[in-house]
Amino acid sequence: MNLNLLAILPEALLVLLAVAILILDPLFKADSRRVNLGWLAAGGLTLILLISFLAGQPAQNELTLGGMVRFDWFAFAFKMFFIFAAAITALLMMDVDALANRAEAYVLLLAATIGMNLMAASADLVMLYLAIETTSIPLYVLAGFLTDNDKSTEAGFKYLLFGAMTSAILLYGFSLLFGFAGTTNLAAMAVSLATPTVFSLGALLLVLVGFGFKTSIVPFHFWAPDVYEGASTPIAGFLSTASKAAGFAVLLRFSLTVFPQTGSQWQYTLAVISILTMTIGNLVALAQKNIKRMLAYSSIAHAGYALIGVVAASTLGTASAVFYMMAYILTNLAAFAIVTVAGRVIGSDDLRAYDGLSRRSPYLALAMLVAFLSLAGMPPFGGFVAKLLVFAAGVEKGWIGLVIAGIINSIIGVYYYLTTLKYVYLYRMEGEDEESYPIPVSRPYAIALTVLVAGVILLGTFFAPWYDLTVKAAASLF
Amino acid sequence: MNFWTDPIHVIYQGLMQTFTGWGMAAEVAGILINLLGIVLMITAIMVLDIFLVWIERKVVARFQDRLGPNRVGPWGIFQPFPDIIKLVLKEDITPAGADKWVFNLAPILSLASVIFLWAVVPLASRIYGVDLNVALLYLVASGSIGTLSIIMAGWSSNNKYALVGAYRMVANMVSYEIPLAASLLIPTILSGSMSLTNIVNQQAHGVWFFFVSPLGALLFLVAAIAELGRSPFDLNEGESEIVAGFHIEYTGMKFGLFYAGELLHAFTFGGFVAALFFGGWHGPWAEEYPLLGAFYFVAKAMLGYWIIMWIKYTVPRIRIDHMLAFNWKFLTPLAFALLIVTALTHRFLMDFPTWVYVPGMFLSNVLVAWATLEILRGNARRERLAAEAH
Amino acid sequence: MTLELFLFFTLALIALVTAGGMVFSKSAVYAALNLVTNFLSVAILYLLLDAPFIALAQVTVYAGAIMVLFLFVIMLLGVETLRAEFDWKKIWLQAVLALALLVEGFVMLFQRMGQAANLPFNTASVLTNPSEMAKVLFTDYLLPFELTSILLLVAMIGAIVLTKQVKKRSL
Repeated sequence: MNLNLLAILPEALLVLLAVAILILDPLFKADSRRVNLGWLAAGGLTLILLISFLAGQPAQNELTLGGMVRFDWFAFAFKMFFIFAAAITALLMMDVDALANRAEAYVLLLAATIGMNLMAASADLVMLYLAIETTSIPLYVLAGFLTDNDKSTEAGFKYLLFGAMTSAILLYGFSLLFGFAGTTNLAAMAVSLATPTVFSLGALLLVLVGFGFKTSIVPFHFWAPDVYEGASTPIAGFLSTASKAAGFAVLLRFSLTVFPQTGSQWQYTLAVISILTMTIGNLVALAQKNIKRMLAYSSIAHAGYALIGVVAASTLGTASAVFYMMAYILTNLAAFAIVTVAGRVIGSDDLRAYDGLSRRSPYLALAMLVAFLSLAGMPPFGGFVAKLLVFAAGVEKGWIGLVIAGIINSIIGVYYYLTTLKYVYLYRMEGEDEESYPIPVSRPYAIALTVLVAGVILLGTFFAPWYDLTVKAAASLF
Repeated sequence: MNFWTDPIHVIYQGLMQTFTGWGMAAEVAGILINLLGIVLMITAIMVLDIFLVWIERKVVARFQDRLGPNRVGPWGIFQPFPDIIKLVLKEDITPAGADKWVFNLAPILSLASVIFLWAVVPLASRIYGVDLNVALLYLVASGSIGTLSIIMAGWSSNNKYALVGAYRMVANMVSYEIPLAASLLIPTILSGSMSLTNIVNQQAHGVWFFFVSPLGALLFLVAAIAELGRSPFDLNEGESEIVAGFHIEYTGMKFGLFYAGELLHAFTFGGFVAALFFGGWHGPWAEEYPLLGAFYFVAKAMLGYWIIMWIKYTVPRIRIDHMLAFNWKFLTPLAFALLIVTALTHRFLMDFPTWVYVPGMFLSNVLVAWATLEILRGNARRERLAAEAH
Repeated sequence: MTLELFLFFTLALIALVTAGGMVFSKSAVYAALNLVTNFLSVAILYLLLDAPFIALAQVTVYAGAIMVLFLFVIMLLGVETLRAEFDWKKIWLQAVLALALLVEGFVMLFQRMGQAANLPFNTASVLTNPSEMAKVLFTDYLLPFELTSILLLVAMIGAIVLTKQVKKRSL
């Protein structure tokens, strides 16, 4: 049996870090606990990122560890994204008192990251389902972590109910697929299901329900705004980026491995879903007055854009989807980080409460400019390159209608991003007294925002090395 | 092969010949003989159960420095029969608002979950119900059925005290299943199989597991007593607190079924202690004469049952939160630690001769017990110092 | 008709009837008890298929732990007083989808009848013998096994975090 332990090097290190946090937690004094835990978690995660990047690169694409895990560039790229997102989230969690004082929050974050890593690498239905559950359950708890806050409890509860139900449907789809194919290995399933019938595609629809929940595409998106609004903001950031990227990793791997031919019916289904997602996400975001809900709906819309890359089932399509996820993680985390910092001082998540932010904290406003313009798809930011690649992939494979819908939706999206920036830069606070209400940015937030903003700008300008990574990732799937 | 060396086989052949002689097909005869065997086994167990009532009452009397029943028959040995007649003659009350089906089903299920267990117990080298290769898992499974019956009893009584008693009992039983299962894994490791017949055979050809893992036996005993719901873990039917717990509303023979079931359950676990740790049917000449082996087994089971009764009538009741804390904070970590230590020592000492293996394992157990006591002492000292500082 | 076939039909009938009873029952506790009987009959079906470990695991975990938890929650929340109503006009779409799933299940069954599963172990020996199952569990399926342990730890941590009341210190 092929036992390449490098394949699970990041996960093993993450387990060690989680155990270390649990053991060291009682030894920290209460007043310095959140600082120590936070730096331990964030530092540990950065270290794991470096070690995995340097030592854990896959030599060739292989199926290892009993056929459960595929050690290829696709899994590796996504693992780096997830660990990076977790490190940033750990930094962001440090100043949210209710989260940071509990070691369990960090442990749950790490457990979710382990699950996501294995989701990206799974090559077997059993492993995939377990990884999805290992990702979801800590996130359910994290969403409802602030137990004395009604909105947070509601968020956690909704997430749990939705997640459990779609997970059950997903499992039903998996069991039907196993029945049709006679094996749980994804690659072997492709051989058995080489001629897809109506029935095996019916099973795929059930599986799509489960994956659709994780990526919050229409019509499985109803949980996202409530959960993002109710959960603590760093957690909402993690949910909207890493969890969604994990869903996309699974969707990409599943659709390209199990149903590898182009032109199958699932592409049309995904194209329709993509158009619906983009449209509904953007249109409803226009009406939002709460910044977290607006960001939630914008996340839903971005899932729609990324789906265009999935629909164009080619190397460019997959590479573009992976690049989109990378840019999206950086940008959305930046947006949620800004909302965390500003929200703590402003005290409300109302859009109009951000009036005059540019005078209260110029750096924060600059970060917001970068993040939102990248979300809107403006050069020279990462979002522009991502959208360009995704549309190029769509055009290359002939999905012109889909690309036109994407472009129109991007234009609609620009409206609400620019509206927020208008409030930040052009409007002034009530009383016009911004100098006496500054917004302090503590060190962990400063570090996080600097890294994220630099990343977004880097992805928009010197994107060649990143693009090469995504092409290598995509090539390993074909 | 004559009757004394292989009784079951001889009876089977004899009955088969009789039935096929009457013109029955071989399969049907086989099924019928199996059914007869099951009925015979259940009858034997239930007769033993009646005997257990007398034992219980006599032993509790002696512990409490009195005589116990001594009127009906010599030493009061026929006392259970008037008891049964009394219970049968009592009025059968179903409380208003109680759920009839569930109410009547609960005591049946409770007794059934105990009788199920006797299918896998090896009474002798050639007398057993079935050689199930996952018999220990079967033990845990039937405990789960017992848990269900208690919830059914508590809920269907339409009585708050019954429900509270049922919750407590179920919380108790479910919690203590963990150290029970962990301590069941110790004979599994030592014998390499989960089948009770294999475990007893291994002990018959080797050393009794009590000498190899005394702490495991103690752990199993404690977890078993808690699982039974007997004192000192019997808050669930603490008479001074919630009257009779989940079986308040049961009258007459239904209560009799619960009571008999509890006694039989205790005896069954006594039998399991005997089988798992004290060699089961092993004894001089037990291999050649299975009936002698069965006698040894019942004697050992009686000894185990006596120990359980001894603990019941000596130790005061434990409060429910102490009970659960005892399980989760002490017994479960101890069980897992012992499991790990046993597995490691067994692996290292496996290839050594017996006179190295047995003392080595015994020593490892003593070490774990000593370490536990030291930790407890340290905790107690810390608590005492903290209390004195205030 | 052999004993096995007779047992199978009886158990299958019990399983179907109790499953229907669970879905259509108006009382939550009755539904739970029906489900328990369903699990028990399925467990005996597993026994008929020569898989004692799975049968007993089904009884211990499903009927003994999960259903006890269900019953606990139902009784603690007082849900047993709620009566369910069935309005076919409201749930016709769900019924159609369920029927579609049922048809799909049957198609899959008939398509693969008699074919063995293409799994990396020998199903017959693994299901009957727990030591064979352990070997497979610790070699081919080692990673899911270890991941399950992490999942259980996370579930315990989550349960404690969400339910533990932190005593508020008064100043």
